[in-house]
Amino acid sequence: MNDPILSLRGLRKSFGATEIIRGVDLELRPGERRALIGPNGAGKSTLFHLVSGNLAPTSGEVIFDGQRITGWAPQRINRLGLSRSFQITNIFPKLTVFENIRLALMRHHERQYTFWRVIDRLAGLRAATETLLEKVRLQAQAQTLAGEMSYSEQRSLELAMTLASDPKAILLDEPMAGMSSEETHYTMELIREVTAGRALLIVEHDMDVVFALADRISVLVYGEVIATGTPEQIRSHQGVREAYLGEEAAA
Amino acid sequence: MTMRTPLLPALAAVAVLGALPVLLPAGLLNASIQALIAALFACAYSLLAGRAGMLSFGHAAYFGVGAFATVHAMNALGGTGLLPTPLMPLVGALGGLGFGLIAGWFATQRSGTAFAMITLAIAELLHALAPQLKGWFGGESGISTMRMPAWCLSFGSTTQVYYLTLAWVLVSLALLYFHTRTPLGRLTLALRENEHRLRFLGYDVHGLGVSAFAVSSMFSGIAGGLQVLGNESANYVVFDAGVSATVVLNSYIGGVGSFLGPALGAALMSFFGYAVSDTTPSWLLYQGVLFVLVMMFMPEGLTGLVTATLRLLGRHGVMAVLPLALSAVVAGLLLAGGSVFLVEMLQRLCSQDYRSLARMSGTAPPVQLFGRAWSAAAVGTWIVPAGLLAAGALMAGVVQRCRRGLALAASPEVPERAAALSERALP
Repeated sequence: MNDPILSLRGLRKSFGATEIIRGVDLELRPGERRALIGPNGAGKSTLFHLVSGNLAPTSGEVIFDGQRITGWAPQRINRLGLSRSFQITNIFPKLTVFENIRLALMRHHERQYTFWRVIDRLAGLRAATETLLEKVRLQAQAQTLAGEMSYSEQRSLELAMTLASDPKAILLDEPMAGMSSEETHYTMELIREVTAGRALLIVEHDMDVVFALADRISVLVYGEVIATGTPEQIRSHQGVREAYLGEEAAA
Repeated sequence: MTMRTPLLPALAAVAVLGALPVLLPAGLLNASIQALIAALFACAYSLLAGRAGMLSFGHAAYFGVGAFATVHAMNALGGTGLLPTPLMPLVGALGGLGFGLIAGWFATQRSGTAFAMITLAIAELLHALAPQLKGWFGGESGISTMRMPAWCLSFGSTTQVYYLTLAWVLVSLALLYFHTRTPLGRLTLALRENEHRLRFLGYDVHGLGVSAFAVSSMFSGIAGGLQVLGNESANYVVFDAGVSATVVLNSYIGGVGSFLGPALGAALMSFFGYAVSDTTPSWLLYQGVLFVLVMMFMPEGLTGLVTATLRLLGRHGVMAVLPLALSAVVAGLLLAGGSVFLVEMLQRLCSQDYRSLARMSGTAPPVQLFGRAWSAAAVGTWIVPAGLLAAGALMAGVVQRCRRGLALAASPEVPERAAALSERALP
C-alpha cells in the first residue's frame, strides 16, 4: 500500500469558544478519489481552508507529500502540488476568461516575474490556455469578462483554474453547484478524467455525483469524521443514514 | 484596462510633440517640459494606483529620491558628473528603484488604508528629515548643479532640454506600456482584482506587490531626475505632501483606468496651472473644484468621458449626439463663466488691498475685472454672474432632456441602463 499523499492528524479548529473541527483524522492515498459529505455546517469548507492554508488549525497537523504543511502560506502549499477550488466562486471577475486561465497557468510555466517578454508571444502558454479552455468547454467565452458569465460557467472556470497548476492533489469545494444535470454530468466525467493519477478530495451535495465518482467517502458531522468507506459501505452505514442521508432523502 | 493605442495617432502625437519647440515661445516650452515630467510621473503612479490597485499617498518620496540621486550624480567627480548628461535620469531610475524596493517591501505588507498611511508616513518622514541632512539634501536651500555638455550638445538651451526630456518620457512611457503586456504586468492587474485567489494559484502576492511598487518608483525616479536636469537644482520641497497630492489628482482627473489617461490629465493640469496661476491667486481653488467635479460626475476621469462619448456616437450617430454635446459644452461654459466671475469678484472684494482702499475712500471703489470696471454696489454687476449661472442651469436642464431622449430612443425596454451610460458622458 502506498503512503498517503495527504494526511490530517487530530486536526482541530476553534473560532473563539466554538469548536468547528473537532479532531479530524483522514488519509488520502495517491490517485484516490475521496468524497467528503456531511450536513450543512459540518465543517467541510473549514476543513478545506485548514488543508489549503487559508486558515491555521488550532491544533493537529496536516502532512502533504511527506511534508508537514501545517501553518504554511497558501502559495507555498499550492507550489508543493495541492490545488483547491472555492465554494464561493473565486475568480478575476473583471478580466476575460482567457486571461483568468492564463493567469492560473502562468505560475506553473514559471512566468511570475517575466517582465522582458510580451505575454501574447508566449506560444506555449497560449496553447496551454486554449487546451484548458476547451477542456472546460469555455472556448466560446474566451473573450467574455469572467464576472459576466453565468454561475455554472463560472464554476467551470473555477475548476479550470484549479487544474492549471498540474497538482498532485486537488480539493474541490462543490464544483457542480448551480449546474444543470447535463453540465453536472459533463463536469463529473471531466473531473474523473483530469484526476486520473491524482488524489482528489471533493465536497459535493449531489449524491449521484458522489456515489458515481468517489472511490471512498468520508462523512463529516459536527466537525468529526463519523465514517469512511466505499460508496456501498456508506450507503448501508446506519449512523450515516441517520445523521445525513436520511435527512437528505426527506428534504 | 490598457487600451491598444493605434500606431497612427501615437505617431501623430509624437510628431506634434517633436514640433513644439518650433511652435511655442520659450515660456510655454518650459511649461511643456514640466507637463512632460508630470505626465511621466502620473503614468508611473498609475501603474501602482490604477493597475495594481494600491493607492499611494506619498509618491513624492520616489520622485524626490530620484531627483536627489540625479543631482548628486551630476555633481559627482568634481562637477563632471557620473554619466554623460543625457544618461543622468538613469541614476534617478536607480535611486527610485532602490528606495522603492525598500519602502515597498514595508508598505505592501498591508493593503488598503494601512498601505496608504504607510506611504504617506514614508514621504512625510523624508520631508521632515531632508532639511536636517545637509550633506544629502542640501538643507533648506537645496543643491544646485550644472548640465555639462555631452555628445556634442551643450544642453544650454531650453529646446535641447525639451528634446532630452521628451526622449526620456517617450521611452519611459513605451516601457511602462510594455510592462502592461508582460506576464508580470498582467499579474499586477490580477493583484488588484483578486489577491486572495492569486495566493491559491501559488503566487507570492507580497513579491508581486513589491515589484509593482518598485517599477512605479523607478519611473517616478526618472521623472524626478528629469526635473533636476531641467531646473539644475533639487530642493527638499520635492518631498512636499503637495507633490504627492498633485500626482494623485492629476492621475484621477485623467483616469487611472486607462494607460494614457493619467499622462493626459497631468499634462492638462500642469498647463492649466501654468495658464491660470499667473492670472489669478484662486487657481488652487479652481484645481480643487475641477477635481471634485470630475470625481463626482465622471469617476473614470477624462478618458471615461472620451470613451463614453465614443460609445454614444457609435450607438446613436453624430447627428443624434451633437445636440447633447453642444448643449453640454454651452452649459459647462455658462456655469464656469458665472462661477469664475463670482469667485474673482469675491476674491478681489475680500482682498486686503481692496478693503484698505475702501476704508480710505469711504466708498466701494469699482473693481477691475476682465478689462472692465465693475461697481461692487451696482445691481448690474451681480446680475452678470447670476444670469450666467441661471442660463447655465437652464442649459443643464436641456442636457438632461437630450440625454433622456437618447436613452429612450436607444432602448425603450431598459431606459435605466442607457441613462446610466450617458450619465458618464456628462461633465
